[in-house]
Amino acid sequence: MTESVRTIAIECLRYNPETDEAPHYQTYDVPFTDDMSVLEGLQYIKDELDGSLTFRWSCRMAICGSCGSMVNGVPQLSCHTFLRNYYPGKVRIEPLNHFPILRDLAIDQTDFVRNKLPAIKPYLIAKEDKTLAQGEFLQTPGEMHKYYHYSECINCLLCYAACPQYGLNPEFAGPAAIALMHRYNADSRDAGRAERMQLGNSDEGVWGCTLVGYCSEVCPKGVDPAHAINQNKVASTVDYFLRFLTPHGGK
Amino acid sequence: MQVVKTDIVVVGGGGAGLRAAIAVNESDPQLRVALISKVVPMRSHTVAAEGGSAGVVRTDDSLDYHFNDTVSGGDWLCDQESVEYFVTHCVEEMVQLEHWGCPWSRQADGHVNVRFFGGMRVQRTWFAADKSGFHILHTLFQTSLKYPRIERFDEFFCVDLIVEDGRVRGVVAIEIATGELFLFECRAVIFATGGAGRVFRQNTNAGIVTGDGMGIAFRHGVPLRDMEFMQWHPTALPGTGILITEACRGEGGILTNKDGYRYLQDYGLGPPEPFPRVKAMELGPRDRLSQAFWHEEQKGRTLQTAHGSAVNLDLRHLGAKKIHERLPMITEASKTFVGVDPVTAPIPVRPAMHYTMGGILCNKETETPLPGLFAAGECSSVGIHGANRLGSNSLAELLVFGKVAGEGAARYARTVPAGSSEPIRKQAESISDRVLGYLNLGKGERVAKIRREMTETMETGVGIYRKSATMQSACDRLAELRARYRQGVKLDDSNRVFNTEWMSAIELGFTLDVAQAIAHSALERRESRGAHQRLDEYHERDDENYLVHSLAYFTADGAPSIRYMPVVITKSRPAKRIYGGEGKQAVLT
Amino acid sequence: MSQVRTYTRPMAGWWRKNPYFVKYMIREASAPLFYAYALWLLAGLVALARGEAAYNTWRSASSHPLSILLHAVVVVFAIYHTWTWFRVLPKTTPDIDVQPRVLVAAGVAVAVVCCAALFAFAWWATR
Repeated sequence: MTESVRTIAIECLRYNPETDEAPHYQTYDVPFTDDMSVLEGLQYIKDELDGSLTFRWSCRMAICGSCGSMVNGVPQLSCHTFLRNYYPGKVRIEPLNHFPILRDLAIDQTDFVRNKLPAIKPYLIAKEDKTLAQGEFLQTPGEMHKYYHYSECINCLLCYAACPQYGLNPEFAGPAAIALMHRYNADSRDAGRAERMQLGNSDEGVWGCTLVGYCSEVCPKGVDPAHAINQNKVASTVDYFLRFLTPHGGK
Repeated sequence: MQVVKTDIVVVGGGGAGLRAAIAVNESDPQLRVALISKVVPMRSHTVAAEGGSAGVVRTDDSLDYHFNDTVSGGDWLCDQESVEYFVTHCVEEMVQLEHWGCPWSRQADGHVNVRFFGGMRVQRTWFAADKSGFHILHTLFQTSLKYPRIERFDEFFCVDLIVEDGRVRGVVAIEIATGELFLFECRAVIFATGGAGRVFRQNTNAGIVTGDGMGIAFRHGVPLRDMEFMQWHPTALPGTGILITEACRGEGGILTNKDGYRYLQDYGLGPPEPFPRVKAMELGPRDRLSQAFWHEEQKGRTLQTAHGSAVNLDLRHLGAKKIHERLPMITEASKTFVGVDPVTAPIPVRPAMHYTMGGILCNKETETPLPGLFAAGECSSVGIHGANRLGSNSLAELLVFGKVAGEGAARYARTVPAGSSEPIRKQAESISDRVLGYLNLGKGERVAKIRREMTETMETGVGIYRKSATMQSACDRLAELRARYRQGVKLDDSNRVFNTEWMSAIELGFTLDVAQAIAHSALERRESRGAHQRLDEYHERDDENYLVHSLAYFTADGAPSIRYMPVVITKSRPAKRIYGGEGKQAVLT
Repeated sequence: MSQVRTYTRPMAGWWRKNPYFVKYMIREASAPLFYAYALWLLAGLVALARGEAAYNTWRSASSHPLSILLHAVVVVFAIYHTWTWFRVLPKTTPDIDVQPRVLVAAGVAVAVVCCAALFAFAWWATR
């Protein structure tokens, strides 16, 4: 099968804090083949046309989470979004919404990596003590099924770009963080729910969500953060009332 | 230049680096650890590993079997003491991961499940669906957040080591977000910087796998060992090189040529039935499978795709249920990137560069010849892979030797004084000037041009099968490319803030050095063994002359000089590598 | 670590930029309408408590064309709101082994049956 070579216009947001007051756009004409991804289009621009175009990427196979950007206004991973689906129209690429722009298509991810993620205590707080010699905690496939798809988050931040609540209120823990919190709470080996729900039950936790639901639409891994957050609203309410009934609150 | 004082620097935030940092903290909570990574740790290439991690758990398995599979898989070029230590410690590391929350796939009774992998006699590959590396990395990264003494420097690009008084005193790194130079003063450094697969054109690797740590250690006189042994993974998507895990074959997948024929039976891996059978046919070792592809291509029996020739990886007989349960990620990848649903059609695959068996010379304590420098993971050559790595030994290696490196560095750090000095600062300044010199050069070639020529040269000259003429020609080309690189690389981007073109220019320097080490080591090894196969007069294994490790030493002006060191043989004397043959059908779990 | 002068994009007009958000805002806009409708019903209840004259005033106000218009708009929004309510129902349940579309269909079916029952009762009560 021979590939015909056509040209598509890729318009990129540019921003250089050393020289720019505000972002502007620059369009490049990129020859492309049917199986070229948006990332490969960006790489062509950087390699052949303009080495200053800056964007993050690594694995090229939608598992590392580096290459998130807004493609025609929709949060996407550029490595598995294909130019053929936009041709002959223009492809506009911007950095992920709701994050400060560092340079061109690269956002400042530190709010998620340094604040949101560690705050929800994303590690197993084990129910029982077991030495290594005693082997693994037992967990049936059914028990694993309860949390497994929430563990598939690649931290690509598309859900944060999709969430207007995070955009309007950056204190909100956000979809990925709360989904990961739920992943650990729902793990049969874990006993840390009470610790995590200090944050989870607050306005920055589940109550910051108004069920827009766009996060689950854009998630490339089917993590369904909207489900993780909203099923915890019932539990959160129960926690709240149990607080008055029992000395140590709901557990 | 900003200065950070710490005790131990870990360069690289992948599986080995994170495991090492945690191990430092666990063995000695007083020590400060700086974890420097050019990407945020969960982006490290460990994340893309799919198949699993080996550890002996079944009652019909034994450490000796794992040992023997590994040593014979490595064509007897493994240091058997390292392998002994390795196989003994795999399971405890994987149990540790499980205690930290890793979602290993389970049997119905709740115990961890294990599956077959290439070259293994018994099922011993622990797996987490077909995203084992992803789960291991995220478990390690999230667990590392429990240790406040690990200070992370995300998106800091390490560009050089500082060596003073014969020992390592620190590293210099660029803070990518600002372009500022940082000096980290410390007592020990652990390199966990990954492999060098991007040296080749078609590869399964991420863009970040550029051999940085290897290049830095190399320039400081640390030899790179066994660099000629580069692993071609037999099943990657044509064009992109995206990895289609060996686990497909571990679950019973088969490889057929364009005539629908299971061609591996023609290459000493048959008979084809009964299937599956351990170490036979599609469960043979990676080097043999990639070599078989090459022969099929020569015979014109491969399919033609838009991106070169390929063979079929047929999973249809496994059924939708098993495919979706055990191999969901490659199903997604296959549909997305080549438009093939493995439930209904075979996936087109071909070999692509995947793994660097060799690396920075170190002993089984992960100590390199440079005092204070430790190496763990794919960047190191600790001696367990020999001439060909078995699948699922690499993820286990990250954990076992990541821990060894962390504990070793902690012990070493306690024996040497901390402290700053004028010579150290001066070295840091000169490194800083050197890397800043890339900016605003105003002359030279584009990074992409030199890089492209390098990868094409390597693919043609030092590919699956090699000849003296092709290797010599590659060596000559690389020397020319190095010279052109040294004349200058012209950057479009002269800014300091988040200048990834600048990063890639510096990376290219490391990759070119590593490429030379690979090409020259290959040229000098006058035999065929494991992943290094020659079609010229040296097409047989030569234990008399070449049962030795190659050592490539950097020379400032010319080609690397190649020397040799003995292989450590204890229990297993070199024999013929036998795969295929008669045997009963294996029961897949 | 040093600071970079990052750029923060303003949120103004965010919901107009994506059809998904427009639909969300329409859903949310139904809330003040229901609030207004609830106040109207409350007024009716108060009138009922005050006696026949007050209640008849409320009834004739209710059949004014403007009131009919308001009620029609509220019905349209109520149907849309009900539909979107059940669309997100699967997100609010615990993890159960039921397909989301089955849950949505079940919810809508219950709503349809309840409405039909209510209409039947109203028809019977006023015949």
